[in-house]
Amino acid sequence: MEFAVGDAVRAASPATLQRTGSQAVLRVLTGLAALASFMIIFLMLFFLVAYAYPAIRFNGLSFFISPIWNIGNQYGSGTVTRAGFTGEAGAAFGALVFIFGSAITALLTMFVAVPLSLMVALSLVYRVPRAIRPLANALVELMAGVPSVVYGLWGMVVLVPWIGQALAPWVTTHLGFIPFLGGSAGSGNGLAASVFILSLMVIPIMVATTRDVILAQSNSLFEASMALGSTSWQAMTRAVLPSVRNGIIASVLLAFGRALGETMAVLMVCGAAINAFPQNVFSPVNTIAAVIVSQLESALTDSSGMAQRSLAELACILFIITLLVNIIARGIMRGADRRAGQGQSG
Amino acid sequence: MRKTLALALAALLLVSAGGRALAATDLLETGSTLLYPLMNLWVAAYQQAHNDVQITTQGTGSGTGISQAISGVAQIGASDAYMADMQMKNTPMLNIPLAISAQQVNYNVQGLNAVHLNLSGPVLAAIYSGEIQYWDDSKIKALNGKYASKLPHQQIVPIHRADGSGDTFIFTQYLTKSTPSWASGPGYGTTISWPSVGTAVGATGNPGMVQTCQNTPGSIAYVGVSFLNQTNKAGLGYAALQNQAGKFVLPTNETVAAAAHALDAKTPADERISLIFAPGDNSYPIINYEYAIVNPKQPDAGKAAELKKFLGWALETSGGQQPRFLDAVHFLPLPESIAARSKAQVAKIQ
Amino acid sequence: MQGRVKVASVMTGTAPKTWASRTWWTLSVACLVAVIGVLFSIFAFVIARGIPALKPAIFVTSTQGVAGGLLNAITGTFTLVFVGLIIVVAIGLGTAIWTVEFAPKWGKRVIRFMVDVLVGIPSIVVGYFLYVALVEIAGWGFSLIAGSLSLAIFMLPYVVRAADVALTNVPAALKEGAVALGARPAMVVSSINLPYALPGILTGILVATGIGLGETAPLIYTAGWSNYLPKLALTHSPVGYLTYVVWTYIQQPFEASHQLAYAAAALLMIFVFLTNLLARSFVEYKLGKNRAR
Repeated sequence: MEFAVGDAVRAASPATLQRTGSQAVLRVLTGLAALASFMIIFLMLFFLVAYAYPAIRFNGLSFFISPIWNIGNQYGSGTVTRAGFTGEAGAAFGALVFIFGSAITALLTMFVAVPLSLMVALSLVYRVPRAIRPLANALVELMAGVPSVVYGLWGMVVLVPWIGQALAPWVTTHLGFIPFLGGSAGSGNGLAASVFILSLMVIPIMVATTRDVILAQSNSLFEASMALGSTSWQAMTRAVLPSVRNGIIASVLLAFGRALGETMAVLMVCGAAINAFPQNVFSPVNTIAAVIVSQLESALTDSSGMAQRSLAELACILFIITLLVNIIARGIMRGADRRAGQGQSG
Repeated sequence: MRKTLALALAALLLVSAGGRALAATDLLETGSTLLYPLMNLWVAAYQQAHNDVQITTQGTGSGTGISQAISGVAQIGASDAYMADMQMKNTPMLNIPLAISAQQVNYNVQGLNAVHLNLSGPVLAAIYSGEIQYWDDSKIKALNGKYASKLPHQQIVPIHRADGSGDTFIFTQYLTKSTPSWASGPGYGTTISWPSVGTAVGATGNPGMVQTCQNTPGSIAYVGVSFLNQTNKAGLGYAALQNQAGKFVLPTNETVAAAAHALDAKTPADERISLIFAPGDNSYPIINYEYAIVNPKQPDAGKAAELKKFLGWALETSGGQQPRFLDAVHFLPLPESIAARSKAQVAKIQ
Repeated sequence: MQGRVKVASVMTGTAPKTWASRTWWTLSVACLVAVIGVLFSIFAFVIARGIPALKPAIFVTSTQGVAGGLLNAITGTFTLVFVGLIIVVAIGLGTAIWTVEFAPKWGKRVIRFMVDVLVGIPSIVVGYFLYVALVEIAGWGFSLIAGSLSLAIFMLPYVVRAADVALTNVPAALKEGAVALGARPAMVVSSINLPYALPGILTGILVATGIGLGETAPLIYTAGWSNYLPKLALTHSPVGYLTYVVWTYIQQPFEASHQLAYAAAALLMIFVFLTNLLARSFVEYKLGKNRAR
């Protein structure tokens, strides 16, 4: 880009006051923008907690221990009051099923996706021929951009029937002796489908980051390890990977956060379990994110408003957990960057 | 490049929105998936004659219909369920019956989808609470002597609605009125706390119920009668339900009409009444009024006027109550007296 | 790399270990093939069912009930993303400029950290927050502004990050030269920083667009749905969008609805692919420029 000296000279003005004025204006305007960016998270958190406060008091600890989600009897008479806040008669909000569902889907997804991502990243860096490398990288990045509803669509039309009619019956019949693989084959909507889809969604994230941190690592570690007599695989796993461990851990955490927060794709394949825990990997399951969507309309019929606020309480929990996971992940990444001498210019 | 893109987009918006933005009134109808197919037929026909109003229809569940009508987001909240007393006290709305509909119980059992199994309220309650877990349970066999040997030892997958649903409302009312243990337990509502059954699946909307039932061998689901054609095409069976007189009846125009006649005289002025479990030998036990939940005090006068015109048309025997609309969805037209009461409620909209 | 592997293992005579190593590497390639294979099948599935459904008619009609066309959804999606981008570019560029030019060291760290954390917020949390705050409490109803705001929250970090990096990389010499010649700060920013950083910023905008195109959960509760084209109204007027069609219409028991859902999914994939491609070509262009320097 040409340095437009002419423009600069024309614009030069001797008055210091003008310079200060426009600088102040620019500083203030952009400062406001930065403030807005900074405040978004706090604003959301504060608002949600304030809105959910009645529910937090009303539900108390049983919110985290009870598996029964009951918005009460809209067609009954009477209300129930706890801690000074009222809900409909019979209302008792227990989110254990959803918290458990979120945890188990995210954990199983990591269990499946982390090894896969590592393998894929390693093969992308070391095995894919140079000619195809840009194409392979582009494909992986394209995967990350696919909207979650499209994953959900494929899940509903292809994956769920396949699991329900082919995979699950076979597994429950032939591998039923393994715990959690036996029992009812279910409808295909359930834990297995959710984990499968979530894995597809988090693999690109982890692959991209892992690949980047491995590439950023110099080759010397690899070559030194090889010179000392290890095979290329050993050199990779025992020398290079541990040195980029922090970057990988950070990317795993980020992917975990993503898996926890994913809404639409899970909503379309999870089976919307309520008041019941999954009995095997093919049972219906429900996550916090999915249940907020599927229960919001019902919650709106609660004239006491307590159901809506309890959903807000769920949203708070999800928000806080994903925030914590993200903050830890970013913290690790910055630490790793600083240590590797590649910290962002301050 | 961005400038030209922006200009092009602005031009497109102006051209397409400009003409209509000035003239047309927007109405939003949202809610019951049971009423949705009929609403689409109605709107398509109505808009051919009246193109100064744009009616958007949505099938989102009765719960959404009620809540969005209350909050004013939608002008018409379609619901299979009338509003509760407590809701009426907080926000008095008009519950306007538009037609009479029914609900069938579909199942997907190999070899038995072409015949009609007999099922009763207590048996259904037991299935949905997990007491009956297999299709060859003695209680099911007791009701179906003819097919007792054909019932497989297959786990039952009870499918319920995950969203706030009028279908849930009428189905659970049937269970409540026929089974005391269900009445004192989960009770009825557009959303209930379903008993903990490991295999139970939640589906969204009537279409979701149909699809899940189709994909799950051994499943049972409650589906609105406007989807009877779809369930038949999907090869699902539907049950003969036991009514108050103890007889097992299928959902036909005659049985639905019988149930309606037994109870329509009892319809109060505000038209909130349950038609479930009607007396009579030939009465089908799960029928209901399809309600339009409307706020009598509309904030927008123009929308109020268009709203009254549309609802009035829907209630006319020469308008929405024609067989060509109702037969396609297996609904029944409102009896004269009820239609008159509905029109009186429509007149209250301002 | 491969040559080195073979030489090293031959030199040190690690034959049995080589067999294990080769197995692991083969396994890694198998994983790559499997993952790309599944992606391909998803892609092929959407294209195979979507392309036939992309009849010219659907581009000129709106959805009517459970069938019709996609005009309202396409226009709605682009309108929502466009208005969202306006918000995001204003706030995001401002944030980046402040961070690079005016912020103290701790300010830079804090802003960059917060913006990064913004990436991980679950979409339903944003959607629910805006539903309660804007649609209900503020009384705006389902509206263009609520929908655009929800998209803006998701798109912001990508634009801020890209602008931040791009602006940071403006050579100091250029800026100092301008200031030495007496240019006002606003002039420096507009005639030096921004033009130089433009490709990077545009890349960020394109990436953000890709994100915005694919969001569903927040829009369900902020933009609602409409069977009609977006009105020139910021509030009280719901807007249709493509992702809603994919989510809802596949659940209808009508073949015509399924066709629309596939068509919408295919369109979404095509748009995402195009923005991805454009973004990459900008990166290439900028890299090429830098190399040429």
